[in-house]
Amino acid sequence: MPNYILYAIPKILIMVGFLFNVGGILTWVDRRQSAMIQDRVGPNRAVIKIGKFELRLWGLLHPAADGVKFFFKEDFMPPKADKLLFSLAPILAMIPVLCLVAVIPFGDTVCPDALIQTVGNVTQLPNIARSGLCTFDPRTGLQPIDLQIVSLDIGLLFVFAMAGQGIVSAAISGWSSDNKFSLMGALRASSQMVSYEVTLGLSVVGALMIYGTLRLGDMVRWQSEHAWGIFVQPVAFFIFFAALVAESKRIPFDLPEAESELVSGYFTEYSGMKFGMFYFAEYMEIVTSSMLVVTVFLGGWGLPFVHRDGITIAFGEGMLAQLPLPHLVVTVFGVLAFFIKTLTLCWIQTFVRWSLPRFRYDQLMGLCWKVLLPVSLANIFVTGVVWLLLDMAPPFVGNMLQLVGDATQGFVAVLVTFLVGSAVFGLFRSRTKDPRIIGASAELVRSAGKSPQSPMQA
Amino acid sequence: MHVQTYAPMFMLFVAATAIATLFFTLATVLGPSKPSAEKSLPFECGSDSDGAQHVRLSVKFYLTAILFVVFDIESVFVYPWAIQFRSLGWMGLASMMGFLLVILVGLVYAWKKGALEWET
Amino acid sequence: MTIGQVYFYLCAAVALFGALAAVCAKSPVRAALGLLMMVLAVAGLYLSLDAQFLAAIQLIVYAGAIVVLFVFVLMLLGHTPLVGVGDGSPAARILGATGFGAVALAAMILSARNAEPTNFPAALPAGFGSVGEIGRLMFTQTLVPFELSSALLMVAVVGAVAVSKGEKPVIVAAASVLAPPGAAPKPGESQ
Repeated sequence: MPNYILYAIPKILIMVGFLFNVGGILTWVDRRQSAMIQDRVGPNRAVIKIGKFELRLWGLLHPAADGVKFFFKEDFMPPKADKLLFSLAPILAMIPVLCLVAVIPFGDTVCPDALIQTVGNVTQLPNIARSGLCTFDPRTGLQPIDLQIVSLDIGLLFVFAMAGQGIVSAAISGWSSDNKFSLMGALRASSQMVSYEVTLGLSVVGALMIYGTLRLGDMVRWQSEHAWGIFVQPVAFFIFFAALVAESKRIPFDLPEAESELVSGYFTEYSGMKFGMFYFAEYMEIVTSSMLVVTVFLGGWGLPFVHRDGITIAFGEGMLAQLPLPHLVVTVFGVLAFFIKTLTLCWIQTFVRWSLPRFRYDQLMGLCWKVLLPVSLANIFVTGVVWLLLDMAPPFVGNMLQLVGDATQGFVAVLVTFLVGSAVFGLFRSRTKDPRIIGASAELVRSAGKSPQSPMQA
Repeated sequence: MHVQTYAPMFMLFVAATAIATLFFTLATVLGPSKPSAEKSLPFECGSDSDGAQHVRLSVKFYLTAILFVVFDIESVFVYPWAIQFRSLGWMGLASMMGFLLVILVGLVYAWKKGALEWET
Repeated sequence: MTIGQVYFYLCAAVALFGALAAVCAKSPVRAALGLLMMVLAVAGLYLSLDAQFLAAIQLIVYAGAIVVLFVFVLMLLGHTPLVGVGDGSPAARILGATGFGAVALAAMILSARNAEPTNFPAALPAGFGSVGEIGRLMFTQTLVPFELSSALLMVAVVGAVAVSKGEKPVIVAAASVLAPPGAAPKPGESQ
């Protein structure tokens, strides 16, 4: 079997496996998160019993139980539905989400020659140069491996092309269901998705102008050399993120499936795993959109001050510290960084869901066409003018910008250290255990000097 | 045709299609099927369906779709420019702004005509 | 057959099947899906010609926007059965299809026979089909058509607004003249 196929299989397994597992766990995170925010216990019924031993795992078994249940539920189809389209819709909803990850890089290019070298009896982990390609060793015949399934020149456009295919699925599922609420949901869903797709596409242009490439790998490289996209293009980042949340049809943008208005939107008539496929595709969409934001705006696999040759803490010309690291270690760091950033962003998206109320439909469309679209066009103009002026500026401006860029890297490093530190500290902090107090709101009541034994807390 | 470049991509396509089809087939095969007259009614949370089966929908959705097509084509023109933007310089920026401005006129027209109002 | 040829025939077959489905399907949404299938297959063909950007545009604009527009309009129409389609005797339909097919085939054969043999370069120039190269060409050699296309897009917006909203002020005015004050229906309430 040729090498390129051999290399592709583990990459596909990693990406699809990550999507499936995180998508499944996210269904649990979403419910558990809502329970914590609303002072409930949350999912805890699924249990594996071995004798007296009960394995509950804080409800983590629920996604698996749901999956099994979905498969064995009645597969119902409305008698007047268009059978072909009705069956095709869930399949069409799932395929584009899975295909979308093809161009997303989850690590820096690996030089297989330089991972582990054995010279004589000594096994060592060699370092490689900070920039430049891998030195190709003809004896082993190993080519450099991109840690992405395919590196396309159109990169980001491939993502948009795939994301656009999901609209048809929503439309035909509603159309073929023979239910007026499905049809309305489908119409709302597709008009919301097309509106926000425009914003999505135009908001990112400012960042593209600066990166000068559509290849996602090169975008990440630019960010690790200069500064993360969120600092260079903050406006683009916020619009892009909002548009992505709207594309995945989650609260506050969940009008297509607003339970109080449309039953469940365009997949009202679906049951069993066919409903599960829509549901699951939505959660996988959260993962893919997080991956996309991480790659374009949050430095991808990059970590502050970590380069291909190791850690170099430098501000402009002033070098503070340097620690060479082996290629293997840097690569593992990068892959871990990418996946951890993705998970964090997934969690933020579930968090957003339980923090914001739903928009009204006119607000939703108004926000897109009257606010986000003009702002992203203005962002293109401002970016263009500023960037061309900077190109004409004397060299010391460039040096200063480099200094500012390094400062943002330092800022990220300090911020992440602080957040991780306080999270760890918070986990191990000793808490006074009061069986009556269930959660945050009860603590709030107590801090106000009142008794926490309200009827709600009983 | 670079088989080497595209083969992994098509492998992913095939894998994605296979997974989706597998899910679908399993759902069809494993689940029971007991249709009844009640079930085959359009699901509206248990209350009887009221009014016409097919509602008339606002023509504004059509306007949104047209606006989307126009701006989608516009963004397709913008991407190649954004990639080459630094080498094209001020001339490139000016021509792109001219292009965007003309389309913005269309958006402003639609706005003024109330095509972007959803309150009614 | 090489992999490239297998790929070509696969895409071509899917494209033909999609096109036939688009023409033959009774249900308009199924026809739109046939069109989608054809568009996807043609994008696959572009990919084999090293035209990645064109393939992406094919997916974004045709599959993602035009087909969606069609489906949109069909959803607005609801499940109204097609009237006047499929009427007429089978003989007329067969005759029409055969005649059209024959003319198309003749045109294809004639143009293929008279075509100049194209001298393809042995190797593609660097950056062929890449987004950057297309951007450079578009903003150096074809700047005027590019600028003019913006007018085309603007006219599309204006036309759509005029078609769906243009007459409304007139109707409101007429209604307020005919009806007693206070009873004038608000626009949009007629549904």
